[in-house]
Amino acid sequence: MRDPLDVKRFMFTVVVALLPCVAAALHFFGLRVLVMILVSYAVGGTVEVLFAIVRKEEINEGFLVTGLLFPLILPPALPLWMVAVGVAFGVIVGKELFGGTGRNLFNPALVGRCFLAIGYPVAMSSNWIQPGGGLLGRLTEYVDASHLDAIISATPLAAAKQGTFADVSDLFWGNVSGSVGETSAFAVLLGGLFLILTHVANWRTVLGTIGSFAALGGVLHHVAPDTFGPAGWHLLAGGLLFGAFFMATDPVTSPITNGGKWAYAVIIGVATVLIRNLTPCVEGVMFAILLGNIAAPVLDEVAIRFRLRRLRNER
Amino acid sequence: MSNWQTFKTGIFKNNPVFIVNLGLCPTLATSTSLRDAIGMGMAATFVLVGSNVIVSAIRRAVPHKVRIPCYIVVIATFVTIVELFLGAYQPDLYNALGIFLPLIVVNCIVLYRAEVFASKNGMASSLFDGFGMGLGFTCAVLLLAFIREGLGKGTLMGYPVIPGFSPTGIMVLPPGGFMTMGLLLGFFSWRKLRTKEHK
Repeated sequence: MRDPLDVKRFMFTVVVALLPCVAAALHFFGLRVLVMILVSYAVGGTVEVLFAIVRKEEINEGFLVTGLLFPLILPPALPLWMVAVGVAFGVIVGKELFGGTGRNLFNPALVGRCFLAIGYPVAMSSNWIQPGGGLLGRLTEYVDASHLDAIISATPLAAAKQGTFADVSDLFWGNVSGSVGETSAFAVLLGGLFLILTHVANWRTVLGTIGSFAALGGVLHHVAPDTFGPAGWHLLAGGLLFGAFFMATDPVTSPITNGGKWAYAVIIGVATVLIRNLTPCVEGVMFAILLGNIAAPVLDEVAIRFRLRRLRNER
Repeated sequence: MSNWQTFKTGIFKNNPVFIVNLGLCPTLATSTSLRDAIGMGMAATFVLVGSNVIVSAIRRAVPHKVRIPCYIVVIATFVTIVELFLGAYQPDLYNALGIFLPLIVVNCIVLYRAEVFASKNGMASSLFDGFGMGLGFTCAVLLLAFIREGLGKGTLMGYPVIPGFSPTGIMVLPPGGFMTMGLLLGFFSWRKLRTKEHK
């Protein structure tokens, strides 16, 4: 990913792949989504430019993806200043302090979200919007936290903890509350498959994450069907698909070797199931991917050693 | 080096926390509020001054091989005094500082000054050194506490500062402490590098 042309191609492909998610978010949650994206781009872009000036480097396209991913993983009625604080933190601490684009250890968008989730736990778990129905949805509305009738406190995953499971077809098409971009599994799949077909996202990471998630989720459901939802339901609920296709596959923060990718994907899938089902946390994708990011360099190291040993033995 | 210089070195040039990077654990743990920070800083300063003077006074009588146990006994005496005093007169602070008060016994700043300075210098300069290092530590904890309490609770000394400011709980949690510490350490190393380049 050192070739500048390659970085550019990569960034624009991801942005194109995210368009279905943005469209679905606009349909279900209204025009505020656009404002959130604008705030994220404006604040994050300013930080990026400032760092580029201080370092006397050229401004690169690295922020195009982070700036769009970040609002897509937030609750849709989150106050706009929190969007600004989160994206600034994610870019500064998650990326620039590590040396800028291509040198970061963690996914900057997830670092920003993690900061908000720990710093403002109430705002980050209550600002959900009831999705709009019908042909137009909320396409012409601007819904924020002051529209009390549109605000609901529980996402499908939170409700599942109380024993109510949302309808699978609603989960698939997106007629459920949740973070901005994750709501429609259909839109995520559409963009995600495009990413895989263009070889921007690695299929091993995606398949490994979803596969291990479904396998362990299936086992849990089989052991105690009353406590844990079916694996297929969990797959469509929350941010797992979005995380697997768009966050886990980030070429900078995921391992380079194929063996490392498989192990990394399994860590993410397993950690998500465990956090979701066995802790008080409602959603675990964010922590799982950050955990995978930490492990990524070590996994690469192990995978390379294995390959070296095999080569030596062959000789 | 004059006494005044000895005193100043402990605060700026040789600040135990930001420059020497010692005593990070109590600094992180007691910097969640300004009140705790002041209490911790004063307690540590008292122990530093007391142990520095006594260690300096007995420096010729202590056999080299058993010097560390001797220093620890001296330090532990002063820590016990602080502990009993705070327990009697400031029970709230005593409870807030908790385990970190008795842990001053093994605080590396105190032992570092006893070993490096007090055991080699006279009582007067050891006294000033203790004050300087103690104040340096206090300033470091206060700076951290100022940032962390201000951002994490929106208050200073328990009083709200900016109306309408919503605090970030993460700053008073351990991750916030580590981040603040990292940024401050980075800032001071950067400054040190820059002054070196200018010289």
